[in-house]
Order: sequence, then C-alpha cells, then structure tokens
Amino acid sequence: MSYPTVRIPFGPQHPALKEPEYFMFEVDGEYVVDVKPRIGYVHRGVEKAAENRTFVQNLHLIERTCGICSDAHTTCYTQVIEQILGVDVPPRARFIRAIIAELERLHSHSLWIGLAAHEIGFDTLFMYVWRDREIVMDLLERVSGNRVHYAMNTIGGVRRDIPSEASEKIKKGLDVLQERMEYYRKIGTTERTVLKRTSEVGILRPKDALSLCAVGPTLRASGVKHDVRADDPYVAYDEIPFEVITCDGCDVLSRLLVRCDETLESISIIRYALDNIPEGEIRVKVPRSVPEGEAVGRVEAPRGELIHYARTNGTTRPERYMLRCPTLANIPSVCKMLIGGSIADIPIVLAGIDPCFACMDRMAFVDVSKDKQWVWSGEELRRYAIEWHKQE
Amino acid sequence: MSIELAEETQIVSSLKDAMGEAVLEAKIPHPRRIFVHLDMETFKKAVGYLSQKAAFTHISAMTGIDVGKAIEVIYHLNRDGRIELSLKVQTPKDNACLPTITDIIPGAILYEREVHDLLGVAFEGHPDLSPLVLPEGWPSGVHPLRKEWTIEKIQKEISKEGEH
Repeated sequence: MSYPTVRIPFGPQHPALKEPEYFMFEVDGEYVVDVKPRIGYVHRGVEKAAENRTFVQNLHLIERTCGICSDAHTTCYTQVIEQILGVDVPPRARFIRAIIAELERLHSHSLWIGLAAHEIGFDTLFMYVWRDREIVMDLLERVSGNRVHYAMNTIGGVRRDIPSEASEKIKKGLDVLQERMEYYRKIGTTERTVLKRTSEVGILRPKDALSLCAVGPTLRASGVKHDVRADDPYVAYDEIPFEVITCDGCDVLSRLLVRCDETLESISIIRYALDNIPEGEIRVKVPRSVPEGEAVGRVEAPRGELIHYARTNGTTRPERYMLRCPTLANIPSVCKMLIGGSIADIPIVLAGIDPCFACMDRMAFVDVSKDKQWVWSGEELRRYAIEWHKQE
Repeated sequence: MSIELAEETQIVSSLKDAMGEAVLEAKIPHPRRIFVHLDMETFKKAVGYLSQKAAFTHISAMTGIDVGKAIEVIYHLNRDGRIELSLKVQTPKDNACLPTITDIIPGAILYEREVHDLLGVAFEGHPDLSPLVLPEGWPSGVHPLRKEWTIEKIQKEISKEGEH
C-alpha cells in the first residue's frame, strides 16, 4: 500500500534570523523525497546599486554584502579593480590582507561550530565556542577598530597597518585559541552525541559534489582538494605555506572536522604571516576613474569560492558588477544531501553548508490526506529533532 | 611571461582548433584568466567540448550584461579550481533566448534562473524558470539589470503595481 507524499513549506521569515530562505519539502512519512529551494528574500539589488556608485563608494557597499565574511568581499572587489587598473599592491599590504582574511575565517568557522552544536542540541559546546570566538572578535577590533565591517581593504592596499604591539597581542590570542580549537576537534571525533547526530548524515558523494559545483568546506568534506587560496593564489597566499584540508567522510561530521582543522591551519597561517611580514608601504595611490576593461576575481571565503566580475567603461562607475556568494553555489548540493534523509536531520544538514545562517525559521506542516495544517517554529523543529533522536 | 601562460595558451588554441571561426575573440589578460567570445550557434557545442575534453566541469557563476542591442551572457567556467575561463555569447535583446547548459553542467541550474530574472534571457530546455531572486508579484517584463530600467523607473513601476 502506498501513501501520498506530503508537502512541507519551510521558511522564509522569522525575526530572530539574519537571512531568510524558503524550501518546499516533499516528505514520505519521516523521509524527504524532494526539495525545491526558493531564495531571494534578501535580494537587495547590490549589483544594480553598484552600477550607480563610484568605485570608492562601492568599496563600502560591497563590504556590506555579508555581515560575516565582509572582508572576503572587499578582498575580491579590490582584486578585480586592481587587475583592471594594472596596480601592484605593496607586499606588506598583501600580508595584512591575508592576516585579516584568516582572522575572519577563524571567527566565521567558530561561529559555525557553535551553531552546528546548537542544532544538534549540544548547547554547552555552543556557549563555549562562542565564548572563545570573542578572542578573535577582540583581535579584529584591536586591529581594525570594528568587529564586523573591518574596512581594512582599499583599492591599492590597506587602510591600516598592523604595528608590532598589535602583532604581539594577536599571537597571544592565537595561543589560547589553538589550545581551545584542538580541544573542540577532539570533541568532534570522540563525543558520542556529536558522532551520533553527524556521522553518515547529509551524504554528498564526490561525484555529486563536483557535478553540482559545490564549493569550500562542503566540497572539501567530500574529499575534493580544491581551495582557491592554493589553486589560484591571491594576496600573499603564494608566499605562505599551508595545507589544504580535506576529509572523505562526505557527511556532516566531515564538514565539522574540515572546519576544525581549517581553524588550526588559519592560526598557523597568521603566525607565519606575522613573523614574515615585509616592511614598507601599505597602499599606493590609484586614479578615481578606471579604464575600459573587465576582470574576474576569486577568493576563498570562509564558505567557499567567492567570485566577482566587473566590466568598466572608463568612468568612475562600473558598467556592470556581478558577485556570486558561496552559499548560492552550495544550494543544489544541500538539496541533494536532504533527499533521502529524515525530517529530524533537516536542521543540521542545512546548517552543514554554513548557509550564512538562514532557514531555521518557520515550518508549516500540511498533511494533505487529513486536510490538517500546523506550524512549527525553527526552535520547535530543533526540539522535535532532538526528541526524535532520543527515541532511537 | 609566455612560459607562465603555456597552459592557458594551449587551452585557447585547442578551442580554436575545435570550434574554428566560431571563436570571435580570445584573450588571456592575466595568469589563470581566459576570456573567449563565441557566436550564438556554436557556444553550446563549445561548452560541451570544454567540459568533456578540456576538464572545465565546474561553473563558478554566470553574468548577464546589457550591451545595448544585445544581452551578453558570460559563463564563468573553471578547471581544477585553477583556471577561470569566461565564455561570452550574445543574444538579441528583443528576443533574448539561449539553449540551457544544465544538461551538460547541472550546477548551472540556479545561475540560469538568476540571469532569467534579472535580464530576461529565456533558457530553452531549463527544467524550471520560475522567479528565483525577484519577489512574487514582480511586474512582468521588468528586468532590473537591463539598462533602460533605471532605479527611479523601477520604483515608479512597482508603486504603480501596488495601486491596483
């Protein structure tokens, strides 16, 4: 006997969330058989706005595309514009850009580890990780004056130097963080709660990851060794030795381990960059209008490959500016991961791609056969997931 | 410089050999960056060739640009995470239509929908071209990234829709 499948709209709006997204799930009992994504609830028309602003104004606009990986966006923006201008950035500025980028990765990955812990009902881990994340936030504030939008990059270099006393402070902070991150990695590999909820959950095979064009830690957790920093080096990454982390479990646990290891790798990159930073200028002067041309810029943001494209027409404003954030690239993959999984695993699988945290907001269950409808908040879904797993 | 760009030069020359006159323009402005302009009839064959014979299996993004009488669509293809090949093709603005490439590269599914929303290019053979980034109830025919739709004009059009 076959039962009709049930469609569950998921999302898109909740005041507690930063970014809304909407998924329509088709479920058969406990299991997801189909997913249809609908994005765009925070489509603010940044690309159109960029066409109407000067290159200097755009620096501020582009930085505000994201409230977590703001520096990745300006790194990509400056890369594109500097390529068209044919400007070489001073070596010291390239190192400072790498240091800020890695500090950002550290805070972004710790943010994710905390959220993932919360999704599986492990709130103690969530609280601890976020406490330690404050160390990075303080360091970023110490260096740039800001916690979120650092405004460090400018076309032709960086706006602030890292003096030697700040460098010492960063190193001290990193010592504490390294110890903590090693501890969290140990939790990821040994703690039963974490293993039970993440191992063999949200499978994405390497073949699917490649054909659906996944990026970043999501791709690397499927065993594919792609990292823009190593493959297509920008800023100072061609002068800094580091490992590209991969893991071949293809599940949420692997995504957790890749991110834990990447935080440790980031710490060693920052240490190396601080010790080997060259002396000299931090920025060069550039003209306000950009000659006719086009360029593609790529950056490894915390969530994966970020790509920007600009076409210029010789004026002070771009003809066209395109940006594609890593979360969009990972949406087809997350749909693939969800299909075949259970409803209870939806929160952690969605969180697994680190979707600039959206999604967990409001869920309406529509049972077609009984003509009944009820609505769940993200919090209720999380509780349901925890209870469901307790029964096993 | 010429030794550094050996791989890029080789990609361009093999594409020219395979596609002949359809390659309207090709340049390598920067290491690991290739820009190729193809004509509308052969571009899909070129995408097939690049993904099957030249390992450009990853699509990073798609850009659409209003260039006056035509809409230019750029497919940012990638090989091994390293070389970014931007494949350009133009389609007339009054009847903007291109064949889908989702049968060759499934990862293009959302990017084609985005270009469809913002520039009004129809992708023939795409499984679902429903709005992706524009809201429900958005006035039809308003493609915000087309140059004739200035910000003021879009605002006016939206408020007009609201009155009904």
